[in-house]
Amino acid sequence: MPMHQSQRLRLVTAGKLVVLILLVAIFFLPLVSMLITSLKTMEELFKIPPVVFPRVAQWGNYATAWTMVRFGHFLINSLIISFFYTFPCILGSCFAGYAFSRFHVREKNGIFMVVLSTLMIPQMVTIIPMYIIVSKIGLADKMWLWLLFGISGTPFLIFLFRQYFSTIPVSFEESARLDGAGRFRIFFAIMFPLVQTAVIVAGIFAFQWSWADYLQPVLFLKGEKVTLAVKLAIGYTDQKENVLHNIGMAGLLYYTLPIIIIFFGLQRRFIAGLLSGGLKG
Amino acid sequence: MAQARLGRMKAENRKSFYIFLAPWIIGFLIFSLLPIGWGLVTSLTNRMAFSVKWKFNGLANYREVLTNPEVLYGFMITFVYALLHTTLAIVTGLLIALLLERRVPGRGIFRTILYFPYMLPLVAVGWIFKVFLDRDTGFLNEVLVKLGMLKEPIAWLQMFPLQSILALAFWQAGWSLVIFLGGLATIPDELYEVATIDGARYGRRLRHITMPLLSPFIFFQFVASMIYAMQTFIQPYIMSPKPRRGENLFMETPPRETFFVMAQAYQQVITAHKFAYGIAMLWTLFVVILVITVIFIRLGGFVVYTEVEEKR
Repeated sequence: MPMHQSQRLRLVTAGKLVVLILLVAIFFLPLVSMLITSLKTMEELFKIPPVVFPRVAQWGNYATAWTMVRFGHFLINSLIISFFYTFPCILGSCFAGYAFSRFHVREKNGIFMVVLSTLMIPQMVTIIPMYIIVSKIGLADKMWLWLLFGISGTPFLIFLFRQYFSTIPVSFEESARLDGAGRFRIFFAIMFPLVQTAVIVAGIFAFQWSWADYLQPVLFLKGEKVTLAVKLAIGYTDQKENVLHNIGMAGLLYYTLPIIIIFFGLQRRFIAGLLSGGLKG
Repeated sequence: MAQARLGRMKAENRKSFYIFLAPWIIGFLIFSLLPIGWGLVTSLTNRMAFSVKWKFNGLANYREVLTNPEVLYGFMITFVYALLHTTLAIVTGLLIALLLERRVPGRGIFRTILYFPYMLPLVAVGWIFKVFLDRDTGFLNEVLVKLGMLKEPIAWLQMFPLQSILALAFWQAGWSLVIFLGGLATIPDELYEVATIDGARYGRRLRHITMPLLSPFIFFQFVASMIYAMQTFIQPYIMSPKPRRGENLFMETPPRETFFVMAQAYQQVITAHKFAYGIAMLWTLFVVILVITVIFIRLGGFVVYTEVEEKR
C-alpha cells in the first residue's frame, strides 16, 4: 500500500534527525573525553579495569593547569600577537577586495590570479626562508612582526570582501564623489560600514588563525615570548617527564575557550555571513 | 574634451586601484616573493646554519631529495594521506550538507555544532585526539572496554598512526560543510519542484540536479583541501605514539607512516641545520603541489558540470 505523501516526508525527516543526532554524539565524544579526562586523577586514568567517570571531580586540576606553566603570561602573549595580526589582516583584505571590486584597470584580472595562486604556496616555503632572513638581520623575537604579517590579508578574505563589495551599487560612491569626498573618505565613511558582516567573518578567521598558528610563533619567538600554541603543544609534564593528560586537558580547555566564546557568541552572523557572501559568484 | 576627461578618470581609477592594493603588494613582495626567491637561490647552494662560506652546487640538493628513499617514501605517504584526508572531509561534509539541505528541525543548531570542531586550533585538536585514543588513559578505550565491545585496550596511536590523524579530517569536516551548504543554496528551488512534479524521486534528483550543480564546489574543495593536506605538519608530532623526552617536540621524529614532507623538511632545517637541503625539499613539495593542482584543474574540465561553454 503506497504511503501518504506527508507521512513519507515525516518518516524521512525522522530518519535524518536520527542520523544527525548520532553524528552530533560522535562529534561530541572527543570533547566529552577532554572534559572528563581533565577532571580525573592520574591514578584513575591508569586504573585497570578502566573507569569512565572520576569518583570525585578534580576541579583542582584547573588551578594546577593555570599555575604550572604561568598560563596568564603566555595568554597575554597569544592575545598580543592575535590582535597584532587581526587588525592589519582585516584592513589589508578589505582594501584589496575593494580595489578588485571597484577599480577597473587592464591588469586587474592578472593580479587577481596572482592573489589566488598564492594559495598554492606551502606556508613553510615562505616562512622558513623568512625566519632565516629575519634572524640574520636581528629581528627575531619581536612581537610587532605580527603587525606586518597581516598586511597583505589572505586570498580567501580578499575574495570574500570582493564579493561583498560587488553587491553594493556604484551609485553610493558616485554621489559622494560628486560632493567632493576623497577616496579614503568614501571608503571609510560609506563602504566600510556596509560590509560589516564580512568584517566580522574576517575578524573571526584572522583571530582564529593567529590564535591557532603554531609555525610562526615557534620560529619567530623564543622563551618567554612564545604563545600558548607553542607552550601547550609540548604538553604538561611532571619532574620525571611523565605527560600529565589530566592537567593537559584542563590547560587546553582554557586555550580553546576564547575561540569557543567568540564562535558561539557570533555564530549566527558568522555562518550566515560566510554563506551569503563568500560562496556565490 | 570628453577624451581628456575619460583619460583623467582612467588615471584616477588606476591610482585608486594601486593605493588600495598597496598593503597587499607590500606584503606579497616582503613575505612571499622575497622568501621564495631567496629560498630558491639557497636551495642551489650547500648552505648550513652557521656556515660563513658557502658555494653554489647546482641541483645537488634536489638530486639528494629525489634519490633518498626515506624522503621519497615521505612524498608518497604525504600524497596518500592528502588524498584520504580530502576524500574523507568531502564525503563527511557532503553527507552532512545533504542531511541539512531542506526542512530539518534544528537545522541551525546542527550546522553550528557540526561546524564547530573546524574552528578549534590544530594543537588543541591533536592533543584532544592523542588523549582520546591513548591506550592506557584514553576515553575511547575506557568506554569500549566498559561496554564490553573490547576485551583489551587497543593502542590506536601505535597501531594506526595514519588513521588516527585521519580522524581529525573527519572531525574537522566543517569547512567542506559550509562550502557545500553555500553551494546547495545556489541551486534554485524551482528545479526540484519541476523534477518532483515530473515524478523524479530523491535518488534521481540527487544524480541529475544536486550533484551536477554542486560539482564546481566539490571540485574547488577537492583542490583546496589537497593543497592544505599536503602541508600537514604538527599533528604527527603531537600525536606521535613515541614517548616524549624533554621540552622539545621535535626531539623524536614521528613514526615512518606519518613522517610527512613538511616535518622532514622542518627537521632538516631546524634540527639538523641543513638549510639548503631542507629548503630544496620544500621547493620539491611546492612543485609537486603545483603539478597536482594543474593536473586536477585539467581533469576538472571533465567532471565539473557547466551550463555554457566558456568563452575563449
